[in-house]
Amino acid sequence: MKHSIKLEHYLAALIVITLLNTFLGEKFSSTTLVSILIAITVTYKGFIVIDHFMELKGANKNLRFLMRLYFIIFPSLIIVSAFY
Amino acid sequence: MKSQPIKNSLGIFPKSWSEEHAGRIPGNIPIWVGILSELTEFGIFFAAYFIAKFYYPDTFAQGPQSLHTSLGVTNTIVLLSSSYFMAKAMSFIRVNNKIKCERYLWLALSCGVLYLIIKTWEFHWNTLQGFSANTNEFFTVYYYMTFNHFIHVGWASCAILWVIFRLRRGAYSSTEHSGLEALAVYWHMIDLMWILIFPLLYVLR
Repeated sequence: MKHSIKLEHYLAALIVITLLNTFLGEKFSSTTLVSILIAITVTYKGFIVIDHFMELKGANKNLRFLMRLYFIIFPSLIIVSAFY
Repeated sequence: MKSQPIKNSLGIFPKSWSEEHAGRIPGNIPIWVGILSELTEFGIFFAAYFIAKFYYPDTFAQGPQSLHTSLGVTNTIVLLSSSYFMAKAMSFIRVNNKIKCERYLWLALSCGVLYLIIKTWEFHWNTLQGFSANTNEFFTVYYYMTFNHFIHVGWASCAILWVIFRLRRGAYSSTEHSGLEALAVYWHMIDLMWILIFPLLYVLR
């Protein structure tokens, strides 16, 4: 039951972050700071899904490492692209 | 005893990758081979996006402003919800509650179908605005990524239907549900790809 409540909290957090990202993108021209904020939140969203929805937290550490690495590499490229 | 290492590592991975050393593999090994292949495929799409954005920064700065952002946000929430429903379905099969498991699978499937309807409407809306894959480099990448993702949601939705059919036939229980779990991790992978696609195409200017 406790696990179920947790899942709902994570879903709420994911939706709030999505709306926040959209607000940032719509209201502010893509400054470097906005891009960095969006990249960090994308990583955070990815980690939540990987650990708690995909349930890789406490499962195979190599698969978890690969999945999390993916959500470090591509959000990092978002930050790099802000300097184009 | 002899088949155990093969079951856990397919006999092609180092021993340190086996379940005994690295931890349990959710679903099964074949689905993870598929997932890692899909991640590579989408990784190439993302690389193409960043390379194109480097060469055409103005086109990529204006591109997201031409899209129907509300539809993109709605689809993001729909897919996140579908992942939540899938995780709930998994939690209920673990306690052998097949009725609730099936209910959440239907909810996940509904989200998948809703995503497909919204995306189809968005493609239609783009066409009405005069946008196509040939409009500019941004739209080429946009259609390349989103249509591919659309196909993935489509066939994974069909897989949910198959899993519901198998669940009704009694194929899954609290002790044996690796097939259901394999679909669940695949579905979450599709959600993860959208988590990356959404800011790249709809948010970042």
